[in-house]
Amino acid sequence: MKVIETKDITYEYPDGTKALEKVNFMAEEGKIVALLGPNGAGKSTLFLHFNGILRPSSGTVMIDCENVNYNKKELMKIRQKVGIVFQNPDDQLFAPTVVEDVAFGPMNMGLPKEEVESRVKEALSRVGMDGFEKKPPHHLSGGQKKRVAIAGILAMKPKIMVLDEPTSGLDPKGASQILRLLYQLNKEGMTIIISTHDVDLVPIYASKVYIISEGKIIKQGTASEVFEDVKTIRGANLRLPRIAHLMEILEKEDKLPFDKPYPLTIGGARKRILKEFEE
Amino acid sequence: MERTLDDYAHSNGLKNTNPSFKVLFALLTMIICVISTSPVIPLIITFLMMFLIIFWAKIPFKFYLKFISIPLFFGIMTFLFMALFFGMADPWFKINLINVIVYKDGFNLGALVFARILGGFSCLGFLALTTPMTEIFSLLEGFKIPLVILEIAMMMYRYIFVFLEEATNMYQSQKTRLGYLSFKGSFKSLGILASNLFIRTWMRGEQVYISMESRCYDGSIKTFKTQNSISTKNMALLVSFEFLLIIGTYLTAGFKIL
Repeated sequence: MKVIETKDITYEYPDGTKALEKVNFMAEEGKIVALLGPNGAGKSTLFLHFNGILRPSSGTVMIDCENVNYNKKELMKIRQKVGIVFQNPDDQLFAPTVVEDVAFGPMNMGLPKEEVESRVKEALSRVGMDGFEKKPPHHLSGGQKKRVAIAGILAMKPKIMVLDEPTSGLDPKGASQILRLLYQLNKEGMTIIISTHDVDLVPIYASKVYIISEGKIIKQGTASEVFEDVKTIRGANLRLPRIAHLMEILEKEDKLPFDKPYPLTIGGARKRILKEFEE
Repeated sequence: MERTLDDYAHSNGLKNTNPSFKVLFALLTMIICVISTSPVIPLIITFLMMFLIIFWAKIPFKFYLKFISIPLFFGIMTFLFMALFFGMADPWFKINLINVIVYKDGFNLGALVFARILGGFSCLGFLALTTPMTEIFSLLEGFKIPLVILEIAMMMYRYIFVFLEEATNMYQSQKTRLGYLSFKGSFKSLGILASNLFIRTWMRGEQVYISMESRCYDGSIKTFKTQNSISTKNMALLVSFEFLLIIGTYLTAGFKIL
């Protein structure tokens, strides 16, 4: 089932410049979808259409196969369904303590206090931040802030979680903790949409990849389909995953028999190399 | 990094004590301090609070000294001013050099105000150093302070630290590029920093609003607080302590240094 679909959406700024141009984006239920693109390509703008913060100048956004209705009541429902984790956690964590921030969403949903309490507790333990309830956000590290920001969305129990650059600014361990959490949530049935320019991680997690450049979707497909088109990838200021790049060099420079499609992950490369050795 | 008042408020020996107890204790003691007509009780309170802050809350002595030094300076100035220029009856001695007569009642008044300033500030210091702002917010909500004011205060408190960090970063990057080398240059750099910070505040505000809207914000922050009431034992302790202080003020009401 298509949980999010945009049909030919165009978004223009008041001065007429187009931030998005005829974007067709689709996420299926229970999948991880990655949106790859350089800075300023329109990733964040597209995401803000998913929960009705922005309204397209033309085209339609569909959530659960229904056109988005932009009246207040319906928007509230959509925002419960589609949770957005913003890139900079300081933009999201506004409350003086962790617990109040995580409780903000569920309280707005009008849930009873006991329910809010149990959701907050559950969300914080999911992200491994229990025990930090009373801390103010400015006493947390970057990775911890990010995890609290995710907990704030988790506590609303959304069907779809949209994350803008979830690993930017994190150390490798912090980044892999976040990704493992997302993978786990996905396994439990949550649809996850992430924007990133970390091309090394995309092939490991995403079942579908979109490449956006200058407000347009220029490529879509599975990770191996997308990365096969090296020219488009480089044209969009992106690069191949390191592993694929290594394979490309081994083929082109050293004339080793690693031809396209290049493996994108360490696992894939390992299989290929072992196969070559056996032969 | 240097620890700030806020850091201590969040990690001190008394951080787990009931916040309403601490607020009530500080406020009542401060009121007694102010109504006392002799400097004895306020000075006792000053030392008691110092003892509590240093030995119970385990705030380093040096930090407390720094904290109290400003009101102390202010208190001494007030004392000097009052001792030299106030009072009319009962001259004590005359300073020939500046032709000022020091009156006994002026001196007494100065000493009383000095003691009250220090006593009051010690109570405030106790509150500021042991109780995080966040807990005071939840108490204020119980006092029926209008929610709008509280929401603004909460967000201001939160973003003070965000902008403090940004300002520090900008300042250091300006300094790296020798922005504060000359006197004129310092003014220019500081001006750029301030205007930049203002623009950032603006943009940040927009972003925060969007992210709040994404979490179903509808114009009012519904807070989620857990209140726990003061235990009977603590309440009894508090009442008897304050009662003792009141008896003390009554007994020492007529006491004068001179």
